[in-house]
Amino acid sequence: MTVTAVRPTTTPAPARRPARFRRRRTLINHLLIAPALLLSVGIVVIPGLLTAFTAFTDWSGVGLDANLVGLRNFREILADPVFGTALENNLRWVAMFLTIPAVLGLLTAWLLLRRRRTRTFYQVVYLMPYVLSPVVNALIWLSIIYNPNGGLVGTLNDIGLPVSAPLSSLTGAFYAAAAVDMWHYWGFLTVIYLGAMRQTPVDQVEAAIMDGADSWQVFRNVYLPSIRPALLLMAVMTVIFSFLAFDYIYLLTQGGPAHSSEVLGTYAYAFAFSAFQFGKASAVALVMSFFGLIASCVYTWMSRKQDD
Amino acid sequence: MRRSRTTVLGALAATLTLTLSACSGAGDGRERLELWFWGAPPEHQKALETALVEGFERAQDTYSLDINFNNAVDKNIQVALSADRGPDVVYGSGPAFAAAYVAEDKLADMTPYAEQYGWKDRLLEPMYESGTIGGKLYSLPNSVDTLGVFYNKKVLDRLGVAVPESYADLTTAMDKAKAEGLYASVTGNKGWKPVNLNYISIFLTHLAGGKATYDALHGEAKWTDPEIVEAVEASAEFYRDGYLAGDDYANLNFVESMQLLADEKSPFFIGPSLGFQFASEYFNDEAGNTGDLGFMPFPNVNPDLPSPMYTLGATASLSINAASDHKDGAAAVIDYMMSAPFAKEINKTWPGYWGVPLKDFDLPAAEYTGLSKEYIGTVGKLVSAINEGHYGLYPGTFFPPSTSTTLADVDGVWLGQVGAAEFLTKVQASFDADKAKGLVPPAPEPSN
Repeated sequence: MTVTAVRPTTTPAPARRPARFRRRRTLINHLLIAPALLLSVGIVVIPGLLTAFTAFTDWSGVGLDANLVGLRNFREILADPVFGTALENNLRWVAMFLTIPAVLGLLTAWLLLRRRRTRTFYQVVYLMPYVLSPVVNALIWLSIIYNPNGGLVGTLNDIGLPVSAPLSSLTGAFYAAAAVDMWHYWGFLTVIYLGAMRQTPVDQVEAAIMDGADSWQVFRNVYLPSIRPALLLMAVMTVIFSFLAFDYIYLLTQGGPAHSSEVLGTYAYAFAFSAFQFGKASAVALVMSFFGLIASCVYTWMSRKQDD
Repeated sequence: MRRSRTTVLGALAATLTLTLSACSGAGDGRERLELWFWGAPPEHQKALETALVEGFERAQDTYSLDINFNNAVDKNIQVALSADRGPDVVYGSGPAFAAAYVAEDKLADMTPYAEQYGWKDRLLEPMYESGTIGGKLYSLPNSVDTLGVFYNKKVLDRLGVAVPESYADLTTAMDKAKAEGLYASVTGNKGWKPVNLNYISIFLTHLAGGKATYDALHGEAKWTDPEIVEAVEASAEFYRDGYLAGDDYANLNFVESMQLLADEKSPFFIGPSLGFQFASEYFNDEAGNTGDLGFMPFPNVNPDLPSPMYTLGATASLSINAASDHKDGAAAVIDYMMSAPFAKEINKTWPGYWGVPLKDFDLPAAEYTGLSKEYIGTVGKLVSAINEGHYGLYPGTFFPPSTSTTLADVDGVWLGQVGAAEFLTKVQASFDADKAKGLVPPAPEPSN
């Protein structure tokens, strides 16, 4: 049997617009996106290209005099052990932020999912560190937690529990700074994950329960697949943010002691604003951007794969 | 109706006039000048407004002055000068800071103003020369600064020790303090890594001697020479012995350290004389403990050096923006800041930051109260030592920027991350790069 019937259309096909109308429409569309485009080009693309160019010069950051030095800046930073420390710390930062706050956020979101009446309150509380300025958060931790005279560290020592101040330690300073950043970040992840979980179709959850799935199985087999796009997006954003890490390290340790907590951001900042070596700072910035770019490409690739 | 319309029009005209006058300047026909300054505490901002702005505006009737206080002043100035914008009077971290801008023609040649106002005759020669490049004047230090030891007499009495007169006395007193459960000394680099420069400077001045640093800066010696290596190693030993706040060096800043000194948690605070400005909050006549605080130059580690020796530095530098439309006015402000009346007035309320580098710094100590009295006396002694050439050179003031930044990494040696010789090889490389760019500022020659 051959089916030849044509499916009836409820709406008639739109009449072909005149070319003049289409041109006008296109022009309006271009005009509408022009401000955002100009802003992006002016604030992101041009400075980005200039930074890439500067990485191959000896520009001091003052004036317009700069000489092309080829790959010298890259050779010098690669030969500097501090660069290795900074890069390693950034990679550690990525590893920590992809696990600790993500797991905490996911677990908390799951628990809050059942607290229908109080979850708004908890979300506000958890989100509070995220909306506070990094300077405020850093000062709170410096004064109340890490301070050896009057802070938690000092109090523990006073009551006979010997605790060394983490910011003085070659091994502890980096983790002490990361702890503050994670404390400020995990609440944000909680809110994002909770929002995503709430979008999970209720019938799927109910069907799983009807089938006898326990709480963990519902989470593992229903919620997790449902929030996969959110998890993926936040993971990629976390990788990008981790390579741009600067504020908490700068505010808490300035990369010290002895560069032990240095990250690429603080390493570049010192070149730019202390040593007047913008060329080297730009080279470091390019390396940072390279890792962010990889993360973005991975995300795009995975998104496309998912769409297919 | 007509009357109300007239009233509205009148009000609009008055508003417009006021707005325009506010936009056009001070409103009294004066040219408006701008100075960007670091974000000093409110009481110090008020002191500067009174002593500088009001004093300057009283002293002449051509210019008015606005001061913009901001903690990110160095970075803001760097960005503004790069764009040929910024304040008329450029406040910087010292002559080394200015040298980077001179290389890019961002600062005006002040030599004609120096001649007009007679600055060379009025100011300490080494400090005047520190601001010259190629024989032209580009910056003047606002204040002489040195490194020394603040001590709490009460704590010393409790420990049963006298004010140290030698390096051995100092370390003995610090050992006693440690044995009593106190900090050997209080200080720290929390929030400001260049604080490290203070403690390498102390050993460069008091062990290697000022001449060794001077020779290295002039290419007549290497940074890797044995006496400089020895100084770096000695600073590391000093740190490892717990003489720099023990384990809390990275957890303290100057304000907290001064508070701990006042709280009798340590007999000493080792640091720059600008520490007087932080001390005034905790040692004052109101608290009745002004007399507890004393200041002494750091004792020589090398007994062959003349005593007392001082590490010579500048608290900040003042220059004229090459892009300013009011260069004459900016020079007038700097001239006022280099005068005895300004020094006399500002030191009444803000000790520690305004040891104006006058050849005749003979402010009458009897007219001052509180810590200002002690500070005035300290600057007087420092000026005498400068005139005799008994000083070393502070890196933040006299070293080029990259060299200074590399030297601030000395905590790597202190914490055993890198050896002194390897560290100084890196310093030498930074210095060579700075020198190739013409960024080495002039430095006065010490006698030893």
